[in-house]
Amino acid sequence: MTQERDDLMGRHTHRVLTDILSPRPSRRGFLQKAAALSTTILWPSSRGEAQAHTEAPYTPVFFTRDEYRLLEQACECLLPEDENGPGAQTLRVVPFIDHQMQTPYGHGARWYMHPPFQSGPPELGYQLPYSPRELYRTALHFLEHYCQKTYQKTFISLSRAQQEDILTLLEHNTLTLGDIPGVVFFEQLRSNTLEGAFSDPLYGGNHRMQGWIMLGFPGARADFMDWINQHGKAYPFGPVSIPIPHTERG
Amino acid sequence: MTIRISSLFNALLVTTSCILGGEIATAHATSTPNQEIPSSLIEQGHYQAVLGDCMACHSAPGRPTYSGGFPFPLPIGTIYSTNITPDPEHGIGTYSEADFARAVRQGIRKDGSTLYPAMPFPSYARLSDADIHALYVYFHNGVKPQAIAPPENKIMWPLSMRWPLIIWRWLFAPNVQKAQQRTAAEFSDPVLARGAYLVEGAGHCGACHTPRGITMAEKAQTAQDGNAFLAGGSVVEGWFIPSLRQENRTGLGRWSEQDIVDFLKTGRAPTGASFGGMTPVVEHSTHGYSDSDLHAIARFLHQLTPADPHEQPWQYSPQTASALQHADLSARGAQVYIDRCAACHRTDGHGYGTVFPPLAGNPVVMTADPSSVVHIVQSGATIQPLPTSVSAFTMPSFGKTLSDREIADVVSFIRQAWGNQAAPVSEQKVKQLRETMPESTPPSKLPKN
Repeated sequence: MTQERDDLMGRHTHRVLTDILSPRPSRRGFLQKAAALSTTILWPSSRGEAQAHTEAPYTPVFFTRDEYRLLEQACECLLPEDENGPGAQTLRVVPFIDHQMQTPYGHGARWYMHPPFQSGPPELGYQLPYSPRELYRTALHFLEHYCQKTYQKTFISLSRAQQEDILTLLEHNTLTLGDIPGVVFFEQLRSNTLEGAFSDPLYGGNHRMQGWIMLGFPGARADFMDWINQHGKAYPFGPVSIPIPHTERG
Repeated sequence: MTIRISSLFNALLVTTSCILGGEIATAHATSTPNQEIPSSLIEQGHYQAVLGDCMACHSAPGRPTYSGGFPFPLPIGTIYSTNITPDPEHGIGTYSEADFARAVRQGIRKDGSTLYPAMPFPSYARLSDADIHALYVYFHNGVKPQAIAPPENKIMWPLSMRWPLIIWRWLFAPNVQKAQQRTAAEFSDPVLARGAYLVEGAGHCGACHTPRGITMAEKAQTAQDGNAFLAGGSVVEGWFIPSLRQENRTGLGRWSEQDIVDFLKTGRAPTGASFGGMTPVVEHSTHGYSDSDLHAIARFLHQLTPADPHEQPWQYSPQTASALQHADLSARGAQVYIDRCAACHRTDGHGYGTVFPPLAGNPVVMTADPSSVVHIVQSGATIQPLPTSVSAFTMPSFGKTLSDREIADVVSFIRQAWGNQAAPVSEQKVKQLRETMPESTPPSKLPKN
């Protein structure tokens, strides 16, 4: 894990992710062994591999094409593919966020959203007049605007280092997107990215449970009685997810 | 209970091509004047109705109790059960006790036509006069009249003619007196005698659990008629009917008296849970049986010798559990089992008591015909909440989330694991059974704890 990435992900994430993502040979080695143990360790059987190539690319419903491409790169900055495992793009994080934006959560349906909207101390929480959908739409608009003004380029044509610089500015709240404090958008994006990487594949992200495999998380198994008294033994089984129609396993 | 009947109808249509019409019994006799009826007699009659599970066929969802209208879909049309409330026009209000007794025990309506043998009158033939009297009193005084006709049967002439049923009745329905004497003389032990009376009579267990010949008559009406009685073996509406005799593997050979009592009272026992067509029977009928009657039934069933005396006794094998507990998933279907089944049924196959039924040594898992176990995997199953056991436990359906291949693998796995040693199931068989897969209950319709 690079220093830059630690900065980007914030102190809390740093702690969590160092814990779960840091290259610990034992875990990786264990995962490989576990995979070798059974050829069908994953639910999506080997035919899933072949399907992945023929599968049509995701068509965003809420995000525009441009927003979608920007998010793909921004999320990949937050969770890049590296020696620890797959990144946001492989895990289909942005399709997951696009799904999220179509749920009541995306609409802020259960939030108190009536004026007056006044900023307050952090312990009072989120005070902006934007639902997550509106937050993304507005912030991405001003983000693109900032890239044009500063670099005369779109976000996606910037180098990875430049993209990370921008995200770092947002994280440190030294960049404001319209009336949205940079850190508010950053936290929104960071949370949704982690959700997309590690929630059940049923919801569109964590593609083929690769996020869970990266963590060594066994998924929704519910019962570990056999392993309680096998002290010091690694749990041998790969993850399971909430079942989806077998014809749709990708 | 109810599911059996449409299948029985279908088969009968094919074998004897005799079809019942469906005109509603409109009677012309005068009704008897209402006298002072002791409530204990009505209560006795109500208990008889529970024993006989009259409700299962003569009530239908969305209609008043006992007003009929339960549909039996047949290839040649749909017929509906009749209104047996005391309404004089639409029900049995004009039936005298003799008319009523003749209908229940002999299958002859007041107007002289023959009832379809979906009405288990060959079993009810042995009901005592006292029980018939209580039942008659209950249906005339304890049930609210409902002036509502069941839907018209939709069967065209000539298939709607009823007279061929008379021949069937002559051939197969027992003589009432003889049936009564036979069941009464069967045992000197009063508990066993009571058990025989309930199982062979009101409980009409043989209607499902005794195999039928090509004429669709039960091959044995009582324990004295031979080993076919309650030997199971047919598949009705997708569910394989198990034997209630003492086969060690596929019958009740390893069920204790208390297991049988618990199963009938609560739909669940440490040895297995109800599913398929038995679930409504427990729900409507057996959970209301008195404890002494349930013990009598269990004791009666316990003395039925195995239909197949050569079955190797089942013995638990710890091999499967040991392999799974050491992460050896090399057996066919073991991966699916560990991913989708083991959390509840456990790697040792014992399940969790009456909450999640055991698969190790469960007779239903080991029957030669795998229809039931495949269908449970495909459609899921719910142990229904009852006043006697209020918790509902549901197994999800895997018909859509597992492929035919995976279902064949996992069913083969549980049929062979833990000493079960039953034959594996082919993907082809699972595919074929998918077409007759019973409907699964959507989670929104399930009872809430």
